Amino acid sequence: MSATAAAHAASHSVARMPSHTGPANKRIVTGYGFWIFLLSDFVIFASLFAAFAVLVHNTNGGPGPHELFDLKSVAVETGALLLSTYACGLASIAAHRRSAIGFYLAMLVTAIFGAVFLGLEINEFYGFIDKGAGPQRSGFLSAFFTLVGCHGLHVSLGMLWLFTMIAQVFAKGFRDDIQRRILCFSLFWHALDIIWVGIFTAVYLYGVYL
Amino acid sequence: MSDARQILETAPGDEADVEHEFGGGVMGYTVGLGLAALLTATAFVLPALNLVWPPSLPIALGVLAIAQMGVHVVFFLHVTTGPDNVNNVLALAFGALIVFLIIGGSVWIMHAMNANMMNPAMHM
Amino acid sequence: MLGKLTWDAIPFDQPIPLAAGAVVALAVLAVLIYITVKGWVPYLWREWITSVDHKRIGVMYVALAILMLMRGFIDAVMMRTQQAVAFRSNGYLPPEHFNQIFSAHGTIMIFFGAMPFMIGLMNFVVPLQLGVRDVAFPTLNSVSFWLTASGALLVNLSLVVGEFSRTGWLPFPPLSEMTYSPGVGVDYYCWALQISGVGTVLTGVNFVTTILKIRAPGMTYMRMPIFCWTALAANLLIVAAFPVLTATLAMLLLDRYLGFHFFTNTGGGNMMMFMNLIWAWGHPEVYILILPAFGVFSCVVPTFSGKPVFGYRSMVMATMAICLIAFMVWLHHFFTMGAGGDVNAIFGTMSAIIAVPTGVKIFNWLFTMYGGRVRFTVPMIWSVAFMITFTVGGLTGVLLAVPPADFMLHNSMFLVAHFHNVIVGGTVFGALAGMTYWFPKAFGFRLHEGWGRWSAYFTIAGFYVVFMPLYVVGLEGMTRRLQHYDVGAWRPWMMVSVFGVLLALVGIVLEIVTIYVSIRDRESLRDEVGDPWDGRTLEWSTASPPPEYNFAVLPHVDHEEYYWRIKQAAARSETLPEEPHYVDIEMPRNSATGFVAAFFATVMGFALIWHIWWMVGVAFVGAYATFVAFAWRDHEEHVIPAETVARNDHARRAARAKALKAYSPR
Repeated sequence: MSATAAAHAASHSVARMPSHTGPANKRIVTGYGFWIFLLSDFVIFASLFAAFAVLVHNTNGGPGPHELFDLKSVAVETGALLLSTYACGLASIAAHRRSAIGFYLAMLVTAIFGAVFLGLEINEFYGFIDKGAGPQRSGFLSAFFTLVGCHGLHVSLGMLWLFTMIAQVFAKGFRDDIQRRILCFSLFWHALDIIWVGIFTAVYLYGVYL
Repeated sequence: MSDARQILETAPGDEADVEHEFGGGVMGYTVGLGLAALLTATAFVLPALNLVWPPSLPIALGVLAIAQMGVHVVFFLHVTTGPDNVNNVLALAFGALIVFLIIGGSVWIMHAMNANMMNPAMHM
Repeated sequence: MLGKLTWDAIPFDQPIPLAAGAVVALAVLAVLIYITVKGWVPYLWREWITSVDHKRIGVMYVALAILMLMRGFIDAVMMRTQQAVAFRSNGYLPPEHFNQIFSAHGTIMIFFGAMPFMIGLMNFVVPLQLGVRDVAFPTLNSVSFWLTASGALLVNLSLVVGEFSRTGWLPFPPLSEMTYSPGVGVDYYCWALQISGVGTVLTGVNFVTTILKIRAPGMTYMRMPIFCWTALAANLLIVAAFPVLTATLAMLLLDRYLGFHFFTNTGGGNMMMFMNLIWAWGHPEVYILILPAFGVFSCVVPTFSGKPVFGYRSMVMATMAICLIAFMVWLHHFFTMGAGGDVNAIFGTMSAIIAVPTGVKIFNWLFTMYGGRVRFTVPMIWSVAFMITFTVGGLTGVLLAVPPADFMLHNSMFLVAHFHNVIVGGTVFGALAGMTYWFPKAFGFRLHEGWGRWSAYFTIAGFYVVFMPLYVVGLEGMTRRLQHYDVGAWRPWMMVSVFGVLLALVGIVLEIVTIYVSIRDRESLRDEVGDPWDGRTLEWSTASPPPEYNFAVLPHVDHEEYYWRIKQAAARSETLPEEPHYVDIEMPRNSATGFVAAFFATVMGFALIWHIWWMVGVAFVGAYATFVAFAWRDHEEHVIPAETVARNDHARRAARAKALKAYSPR
């Protein structure tokens, strides 16, 4: 092959680089699909955030954010969820290395911190309802309970999924399809923490300081 | 499917090359945890310290929240601006735009209506 | 034990719904018995109900859509006849029944007619056009379909058990709140849409992933047929907009079930927030309906003009522009709310702007036809009718986008005429064009041309005669949803309109005749080659109907008009491309997951509507168990041996080789 022909072939292959080589592998497809699903979940939360932002002043003569929110408890919740997310990251590394013990342990830690978070949130909700500040009290409280409760519901369903995942690894081992589900679970769990960042800022901090 | 494709694309949540990194990615998560904890702590402490001019507080808190979301996206979800992540980032950008339009639009529209229609809730 | 459900729920005192419900129930029962007696149940279960094949699911979607379009048409006939007779009298439909009819008409037509039709076409066509074997998540696809069917079942169940919503196709509060709608009608509406909405979001996720991640080798973005682009845009809109509907209906349900105050007029609720949120979904929704139809025309017009689509890149840009701007116009549905001049002006301007990319598309189709050898087949008749009708509808839309004009026309019959003008003239004409166009691909024989032509003429004429008078009465001040009226000037137009319904009815009957005649004469209408229209895109390169795996070997696409070019090359050289090397093909196994999950979803929806809480719990556990059972499967795929693939493909190649002699290259 002459030099020019080789150069031509090389430039040709460079030009072809971004061209498409056919269907992606299953891990990419599954991860991407779940990623799109998560974006749709973000939009659900966006609607609830919008409702909260519009209704936050409609206290109907009842208590407002200043009187209700206890930032210390929120800070502890935030910490618990953050550690839970971290443990979930460790679990996906353990899964990647096919270490069953590591995976179970990390998932268990994830679950414990998730449970702490849920416990604190339920405790907060009970306290509000006790004070007569339940979701039926005002538009503000309806929006608050729905937005924060929807996040809590996601965490609860995530816990159900978490234990199902542990059972799957126990029964089937680190098969490819199980690995893909672990990837989706960790995406889900991390995404919930991102939404929580929005909640503690826009609901609690804005509520108390603005 | 083919190897060439493998290099060009990564699933969201997957690190581009876990094996070659020190600590197999534990480092990444730990750095993320540290940054997130720092940003969270700042957000909670900042208003109480009176360090920031009060009217700019919402902007400061908003910036901190967006920064922390960025930290989570990069260190936990591993969605980066690398060439293997174009589709993932585009999807995220589309989602962020929609979230912005829905929240921003709703707040703007409803605020304008309340102002024009003298909604009693605004005068409480 | 059974919550709110008692014998009072059956409308024994209202003869019309009871009789209608009884007839439908008997018909369903008769069909079920016939199927069982004929011994078709195992076949249906194996080949259709548990199928995860995108082609089968697409066909089932379209079948459901046609059924529901007819159901919605019956409502339309009742509304038009009521308004024709209810001049200074009460007509034959009492107000509470009339209100249910217009609510059911809109709900069924949009959610269970138009949407499933479009999703069905996308299901059938997109993987074939992308040159791949299936969608990204085949079992999820089946779940989506059955959840949609579950929602349709619940809406139709309300005919017999209980009542349907009386609040219009969107349940505007405070009318839809418990105080003013204490019955189960709104609950039927909400839960049916929540269930089918989950199915729709999953479809969106599935197709966005399919189009972005699963394409034949070499099928780059700029080589995808326009239909795939419009499908991508529509599914992005689904993913981004449907969650808003889910959240909004969830808030309304919380108001109704637990006494929250989102949209109530007391307790600090804000009912206009509902308008805002529902239309933040509602406006993208109309583009979800119309974009796939644009895609259909972008396939039909080039094929029957014998030219590639004019301005491919501008078509892609216009599609994606619509996809984005669709999210910036929603306020034009409630200009009269009083958000003020600045807000109205911006949304009015955006609404006028979104007409521009649509105009670009109309010109592109016209220029595609210009200078081409146009064949006026049935799909082409629908396409030309669409171009004219949709332009009229679009122009009245731009009129409504001007806020001061909208203050005069808001909620008038002019609006009713406008949105039927775009939805019927756009989506329904597109659906029928698509059905006629791809029917031979799905079943292996064409629809009868003569009967189909008359069906199209009558339907199109019927459409104009029904809706043009409504523009006039709208300008004369007639508001929508009137059960009776006493303005003499409207009466003649109402009579003209009801005559149009008769024409449309003839069109629909002729469409049924077309299908009947085509099945009867299928041998003479047989498509042996797989390319009955001299098509340009990849779906025409495989057999009709395509094998389960679509393509014996995935095509290696190297051009925008890949299939057209290899066809011309083969015709010129009078030889087919070299025989490929066949290998085993793995295909996903059938799964009952979709059907079983939808069964539990239906039970859960029904239990929630009637407050039967234990049944809700049982259904939730059932649905969860279904998914765990699915996740526990060990074998996801079955293998089709290379010999079978080769045998099928040899048959296809033989038919092609025979046809090659008769084909004159362009």
